[in-house]
Amino acid sequence: MTEITNTETPAIEAHGLTKRFGSFTAVDRLDLRVEVGTVVSLLGPNGAGKTTMVRMLATLLRPDAGSARVAGHDVVSEADRVRGAISLTGQFAALDKNLTSEENLRLMAALRGHRRRAARQLVDGLIERFEIGEFRDRLVKNLSGGQRRRVDLAAGLIDRPQLLVLDEPTTGLDPRSRQVVWSTVRELVGEGVTLLLTTQYLDEADALADRVVLIDHGREIAAGTPAQLKAQVGEQRVDIIAADSAALQQLVALLGERFEVSVAHEQRTVSVPAPGEAADLALVASAVRDSRIPVDELALRRPTLDDAFLALTGHTASESEDETRRDAQGPGAENTDIPEEVAA
Amino acid sequence: MNAVYATSLTAPPRAIAPQRYVRDALLLTARSLRAIPRVPERLLDVTIQPIVFILLFLYVFGSAIHVHGISYKDYLFPGIIGQSLAFGIIGAGVATSNDMTEGVVDRFRSMPISRLSIITGQVMGQFCEALLGMAIVIGFGLALGWHPHLTLAHGFELAGLMILAVFAFTWLGVLFGMLVRSPDAMQGIGFIVIFPLAFMAGTFVPISGMDAIPRAIAHWDPISALVASVRGLTQGTHSTGSWQLDHPQLAMALWCVVILAIAVPLALRRFNRTLAG
Repeated sequence: MTEITNTETPAIEAHGLTKRFGSFTAVDRLDLRVEVGTVVSLLGPNGAGKTTMVRMLATLLRPDAGSARVAGHDVVSEADRVRGAISLTGQFAALDKNLTSEENLRLMAALRGHRRRAARQLVDGLIERFEIGEFRDRLVKNLSGGQRRRVDLAAGLIDRPQLLVLDEPTTGLDPRSRQVVWSTVRELVGEGVTLLLTTQYLDEADALADRVVLIDHGREIAAGTPAQLKAQVGEQRVDIIAADSAALQQLVALLGERFEVSVAHEQRTVSVPAPGEAADLALVASAVRDSRIPVDELALRRPTLDDAFLALTGHTASESEDETRRDAQGPGAENTDIPEEVAA
Repeated sequence: MNAVYATSLTAPPRAIAPQRYVRDALLLTARSLRAIPRVPERLLDVTIQPIVFILLFLYVFGSAIHVHGISYKDYLFPGIIGQSLAFGIIGAGVATSNDMTEGVVDRFRSMPISRLSIITGQVMGQFCEALLGMAIVIGFGLALGWHPHLTLAHGFELAGLMILAVFAFTWLGVLFGMLVRSPDAMQGIGFIVIFPLAFMAGTFVPISGMDAIPRAIAHWDPISALVASVRGLTQGTHSTGSWQLDHPQLAMALWCVVILAIAVPLALRRFNRTLAG
């Protein structure tokens, strides 16, 4: 593990953090350590406890058990200090929808204690940086999801926080806006911002995080670098769906010579491992084309969160969501098939 | 790029706590007030409804209602004022409930500002909006020929009492808005609880003519005290029959104190505790 050993006070240090809502345990004895200058991602399906965890760390919810220090301050007894050190961008755009982009940023700057002129300078800088100029005078309620996210991120960076918390920053965004958020986050990380990021997307955690903590039912089920997790989950592959069973036979014969293929007969699908992504895709595609075997579909397939859950827990994320709902109904739905720790 | 941070790293001087509270509360009040011209529907909610009731009761049902010793127009307007003040509870509740479900309040709460200033901004914004709505309704009444008979002293007494009532009702609405799970639920409470209380309060017809059960409720309905206060001060006559109706201004002032004593600490506690998430 390429864990950065750091003598500095960690940005987050949580032990046994627990939150219950009635009989439903949203976060169950979760430990978390985030070193300064690193990016840690909490990855899990809806209802896994990511947002609850983040809200406890951001002093918005009081833990029922366990303890956590953020930037060296206790989240319960020194909540005000914690609030001074962090910046939270929640799952839903945390902006006043009846104010314009610029008014929102000015308000946040003023609330952080900047006087009028300093606030204006700061806000102008952020507007330039996040390319908000085009819609600086538009009311937030009239902005697109991607535009709101940009203003939202800018609002979170009025004072350089010791810890930036982004709760599902790209959920509900179109692919282009998603790319914009990613590149912004990468820039911030390049500047040394410490980041805690929650996401439902494996590729997002992979793209942005140094370390990923996979959670489900409020518990850690795996942790490690994206590479370590992917190694457990399996690689990317090219899936080819044959036009008929005869074509499937031909495909297996053709590709089996050069690759370690796996075959799913009912789906008429041949899978070829593709660690080289696009290059492998091109290789497989041209081989299939030259052979003139009729195929319905040929696509590069990345492991999804479902694949990760399947590999690590033996059930898929969507199944575990159902179980979460069952758990919410009452106790007794114990999950013995989830290993306590499949840690890397 | 780093220039963005360069200015912010020269940390702003931390003002001492009371000054910061006042500053943050003013900033957040200004934020709430900006919503008034931008969401005109909200102001319409607190003005259209009373205006519709005025027109209905003055020109549709009014001819069938006869109150001894006073024209129906003069009888009606104090009732309408009491009713629309009471409906202000619903308005404040819906607006608060809306705000609480928005992420922006979470952002405020995660910032190093006092939580009291956040709730102050919420209350002051609603308070100003309710006062504005009230002024419009009174203006409409005067334009239609309502004749309040006010001495200067009574005028001040009335204004003070109404401002106190708006303040207390706003806090009550803010508390409800924090307790309910959605703006729709707030509408529901309004319809089931506040609507009947506002109708029974000697608003449109005298309490003395009501059936025993509604009469008993109306005798101790806080909105009755409010309507009786306004009617007593502007027309020199009001319902009687219970201690609060015999001393309506004193009773209304006491109601406001009681409401504030309950709603303010509960709302603050609720706000600090947070909604489930």
